[in-house]
Amino acid sequence: MKNVLSKITDIVSDPYAFVGSVRERTGKKVIGCFPMHVPEELVHAAGMLPVVIWRSNEAVTWGHAHVPPYDCGITRSFVDDAVRGKLPFMDGMVFHVRQCLQAGEFPYIMEKNVKPAYQKNLYLPALYPGAATKDFTITELEVFKTSLEEFSGNKITDEKLKKSIEIYNLNRSLLERVYEIRREKPEILKAKEVMQIVWSSMLMPKEDHSKILTELISAMEAKEVIPDKTRIRVIPVGGLCQTIQTDILDLIEDLGMIIPDDDLYMGSRYFANKVSLDGDPVDALAKRYLTKSPLCPTKGVWDIHWGDEAIKRLKDNNAKGIISVVIKYCPPHACYYPDFKSKMDKEGINEIMIQVEHEIISLESVKTRLQTFVEIMGGV
Amino acid sequence: MDIKYKVNRLETTNEIRPLVDKHWEELRTAKERGEKVAWASGPTFIFAYAMGMKCHFMAGYSAYCGGIGAGEEVLKVAEMTGDLPETCSYHRLHMGMAEAVARDIPINPQAILPMPDLMVAGRLCPEMSHYAEGLSRRFGIRVLPVDLPSVYNIEDAPRIREFVYRQFKEVVIPTVEDVCGKPFDYDRMSEILSVLKKVATLRNQCWEFFKEKPSRWTLWDYGVSIAPVFYMMGNPAGITYYEKLLKELQERKKNNIPAIAPEGEKYRLYWDGWLPWAFLGKFMRKFTPHGAVCICGRYPWEFFPNPELIDPENPVESWADLYYGKGQLIHHFSPRGTVDLIGELIEDYSIDGLLMFSSKTCRIMNLSQPDIIDTLDKKYGVPGVIVEGDMIDPAMISDSQIETRLEALYEMIDSRRK
Repeated sequence: MKNVLSKITDIVSDPYAFVGSVRERTGKKVIGCFPMHVPEELVHAAGMLPVVIWRSNEAVTWGHAHVPPYDCGITRSFVDDAVRGKLPFMDGMVFHVRQCLQAGEFPYIMEKNVKPAYQKNLYLPALYPGAATKDFTITELEVFKTSLEEFSGNKITDEKLKKSIEIYNLNRSLLERVYEIRREKPEILKAKEVMQIVWSSMLMPKEDHSKILTELISAMEAKEVIPDKTRIRVIPVGGLCQTIQTDILDLIEDLGMIIPDDDLYMGSRYFANKVSLDGDPVDALAKRYLTKSPLCPTKGVWDIHWGDEAIKRLKDNNAKGIISVVIKYCPPHACYYPDFKSKMDKEGINEIMIQVEHEIISLESVKTRLQTFVEIMGGV
Repeated sequence: MDIKYKVNRLETTNEIRPLVDKHWEELRTAKERGEKVAWASGPTFIFAYAMGMKCHFMAGYSAYCGGIGAGEEVLKVAEMTGDLPETCSYHRLHMGMAEAVARDIPINPQAILPMPDLMVAGRLCPEMSHYAEGLSRRFGIRVLPVDLPSVYNIEDAPRIREFVYRQFKEVVIPTVEDVCGKPFDYDRMSEILSVLKKVATLRNQCWEFFKEKPSRWTLWDYGVSIAPVFYMMGNPAGITYYEKLLKELQERKKNNIPAIAPEGEKYRLYWDGWLPWAFLGKFMRKFTPHGAVCICGRYPWEFFPNPELIDPENPVESWADLYYGKGQLIHHFSPRGTVDLIGELIEDYSIDGLLMFSSKTCRIMNLSQPDIIDTLDKKYGVPGVIVEGDMIDPAMISDSQIETRLEALYEMIDSRRK
């Protein structure tokens, strides 16, 4: 278990070097997929390596000549990485430009300053009523598929795509299993280790990642832990698109809380919902995108409530509180948050919000908020 | 000796306030008359108008709030009831107003609207969906959503046009029929488009006076005259207004009266992004002493610069085509489209400098502005600066930042003239 976790830590500590080395080793083209909704399976089926674009841990410098400081962390950080030439291994980039307005920053900046060999904009629709929504989603995925075929020179047959879907579904199942064990034995992994496990899935070839997950799961199943019943169970919710600072996760645990489950993008949201292997595989990918739960505020859904999902998760895990992790300058989450908060208040659920920025935030203020939260919940 | 510049105000623009006041008054009192009310974002209100509903328009309401000085107090209510200050100020305005009504918090009565029977949420930008979703969650208001994607690459437009047209036909029209309990009134939609075509044609004739040196009017004059080509669409009063405006501009030309006295502008500026509705006077007071004037922008070009493409005989198809067909209005929201548009405007309107307004809470027109400036500077030799602010929220406005950037722009223009 220690070896696997150590390997994962190495990968996420320097994703640039890691992804570059995979490209060199496999000879595969690397396609950066902006989180959260690009269907990686299509890239995989074209014989290329999809990686989910990440937020660096460096201060934004040149990037601020291209995007304002009031764009979110991953937008500024990714632009910064790109214009500083830190992404030479990224042969292509895919942006779902309808996810939020800031995703619309990338196409022009990249084509003007970075000129990746392949660049694609997806216009996946909001999940609105009507057959046009489903049909347009399928059209978009078909257009994406064709462009990947042209760039890679590889035809994406239904057979190949189904094989890729199988590989991705297996990885989802294994990540689910990691989470199941964590729910049973929350002390088994630190929260930051769990986040790194998911993050490494976004960076590694899925086949390789599934192998190390299999090893990890065996070790986790075998390991006995002594439950610490003094710790207060909490569920972090949000953190859309990007990694949150691991210091914050450590802080939550240092203050006597424990995280048995999460509703983070760099967490359970990433591997939620498998793709059906029945019927047309592009239709199946569309169906997964069109699934409303887990609710994503970027998708235009209002007939189910994110708060209800979070409360169910809280109750399923016998947790006492919810920590909303709102990325600073994330409009979809910011617009939703007041209603989420109201729902928590109405249902009598302990909830606190922490806002996370790309730059080093004041951990002291976060600590004070979290300490107060623990005290309210009856902890030390 | 320094020239003392001042604005020559147009008389016709004084007539717009009573027109827009009347529009919002009729909306405020619609329910008293038993009329159905819709709220709309994006270019979707035309479907409500065609059915005889009284309809609000998201950006128009926000501009109106800014214009009547109600923005700050309504934004405070939004913050007090949970909205984060970084959220789109148009979003916060609507949430604040609805919460003020629901909680009986006193605000300017002119800013209060009746809760709608239907929200027609045109999702030009995701925030236009978020506010409708929020109001639905909080107040149970029925939402009719329409996805209206911006087009980043022009070759993507045909399939997006088809998607949008299908939503109009398959979702929008059946829903407004259901809400109103009667068949969709295609004839009324045609009439609305006929009036719009006339208004936009007249408005384009007025635009010609921006090309003159000195300019006969300012973008701010146009900004306050925007309602007849948008949320007052279909109202014949718009034709009368623009006929009068055109006549006044013709008189100005005849008598050689410039927009900026005594002898015209020193700097002819392009303004990018939203107009700063609550701060039009503030900005004007910063431009005028320097002899600077904004004479064209991207936002106005959103409103039907090619009226010849409006086809009242095929109203629904025409509406889709204006945005995604030949009209390509939606392309102006993408950086590529912006570069093309501004390039044309620089040449047609003899622009000296670019003033790119970057809203801190609405990014739809902020996208890639620094790179757009760089591209245009290299191609046309026209410098540009970014001014940060907001359309409504005074907390996002910094006088010194604006002044510093403007001074930099004037200096760059001067240095290139030498």
